[in-house]
Amino acid sequence: MNENRFASTFLIPGGLWLLALFVVPVLLVLGLSFGHTDDLGEAIYGFEFTNYERVFDPDLIPVLLRSVGFALATVVICLLIGYPVAYYIAIYGGRWKNVLLALVVLPFFVNYLIRTYAWIAMLGDDGLVNGLFDTSIRFINTPYAVIGGLVYGFLAFMILPVFASLDNMDRSLIEAGKDLYGGPWQTFRHVTLPHSYQGILAGAVLVFLPAVGDFVSASLLGGPEDVMIGNLIQQQFQASDNWPFGAALTIVMMAFLLIWMSLYLRSAAREAREQEA
Amino acid sequence: MSTEVAQTPSAPAPPRAAPTKPAKDFDRPRFLKVYLWLFFAVLFVPIVLVILFSFNSSRSLQNFEGFSLRWYETFFESESLRDSLIASIEIALVTMVIATVLGTLLAYGLVRTRTRWSNAANILMLIPLVTPEIVAGASALLLFTQIGLELSITTIILAHITFSISYVTVVVRARLAALGREVEAAAMDLGATRWQTFRLVTLPALWPAVLAAGLLVFALSFDDFVLSFFTTGESPQPLPVRIWTQIRFGVRPTINAIGTFMLVISVLSIGLALLLPRLFGRKESGLKVLLGREGT
Repeated sequence: MNENRFASTFLIPGGLWLLALFVVPVLLVLGLSFGHTDDLGEAIYGFEFTNYERVFDPDLIPVLLRSVGFALATVVICLLIGYPVAYYIAIYGGRWKNVLLALVVLPFFVNYLIRTYAWIAMLGDDGLVNGLFDTSIRFINTPYAVIGGLVYGFLAFMILPVFASLDNMDRSLIEAGKDLYGGPWQTFRHVTLPHSYQGILAGAVLVFLPAVGDFVSASLLGGPEDVMIGNLIQQQFQASDNWPFGAALTIVMMAFLLIWMSLYLRSAAREAREQEA
Repeated sequence: MSTEVAQTPSAPAPPRAAPTKPAKDFDRPRFLKVYLWLFFAVLFVPIVLVILFSFNSSRSLQNFEGFSLRWYETFFESESLRDSLIASIEIALVTMVIATVLGTLLAYGLVRTRTRWSNAANILMLIPLVTPEIVAGASALLLFTQIGLELSITTIILAHITFSISYVTVVVRARLAALGREVEAAAMDLGATRWQTFRLVTLPALWPAVLAAGLLVFALSFDDFVLSFFTTGESPQPLPVRIWTQIRFGVRPTINAIGTFMLVISVLSIGLALLLPRLFGRKESGLKVLLGREGT
């Protein structure tokens, strides 16, 4: 038996599983998005576009724009907060590199709900901060709180790829920049920063994807004015029980994310090739 | 030193002050270090507060009035919360075992074949990693209701496995790629069949990565909320779903105890994963293994 045939059989169990439990369900969602509900609220497959007309109804446009806006703001803030951290660990981490990285990763294994809840306990109307300073500042139920929750939730997805790109960089390039009379800022801007573009791109994609589909942060930290597309989808599949409309919302979100996804898939596939070569 | 050089570009470059000094001391900006510690403080303060207030003797979330275990008692004395904890552990364990097996096989297939099929399988493997969880949850819910599968722990496990396979594959694949084929080739030269080579040579070399991936999956599954939320039945519901319900009813001190307990379990499994290579007496960084960046 040649190696290709032998190893190919290893693809079968996982491949079939992903086909049956990932591809088929997504196709079902696509199918149902053209359906409707009967008088009892039962979802019926069909071929009509009413759900999509509803998605692009002027009433819902603000929700779609808000979702993208919140997610983009999250990406930018994660980059601003995370880049110096990744930079410090990669360039100056030395033998503490792994410990510092572990410290970055650790909080992200604390349940997302608990982390969000911690912010409510701290910043809520009768939370710790307001109690401590005897103030009544409203932090929670604002759009800033929602974005803050998203940043706190997904920051590691920015730091890790940026760190990886800086860590792979040939350090003597920085020395060379300095030898050529570049100041620290010039060296950073012309040597270090361009080297991390790949990492920044990967981080931007990895933060944007979960942020745009999130409904936890907006539910718990936002007010009624801060609803995102994820909240709408969740409501359709649960409380309001209009699955075909929820399916259409899901498909629109997926279609929009496909651009971002393909960017990421390309770079991931390239990396895998380089690794095997 | 370098700023000096930059400010007086016409002056001859001074000789290197201390070429023997390690490069890391070379004009390390002080403010970056301050920033880093500030960053870690903000990152950890909320978590530390959750842990601290889980031991508070009063209901207050503003004043720590004394040490007590009453919120842990409330947690463990509630039968339904206990059932939820057991359900969460069961889901994570079954997910870990099945996803690790499927993901490891898939990784081997992807690294050792070069066909049209393996390219398709590669894309199929990567897409779940970039699919928002809500899409995954909604589509899994639709599938289960369409085929008439009643929502229960089983449906949660099925959904969790689907989205854990890819993590295992990424981690194990990096290890496989770093491994090289010489040892396998040697085994085959000595008369081993392909299957024997896989079982006796390749798999043992993969163990640290496979176990690390398994522990990662355990932690992810144990912590997962969105997928569970969409695919859970009436009861028992996994812990994160219970936390969601409780938070929506308002801030309650029991959540601190549940959260701290979950945190301990997650940190234990991830910490073990990070230490695994050491336990196997190897030098590679556990973090690199876990992030699928081995050999880079």
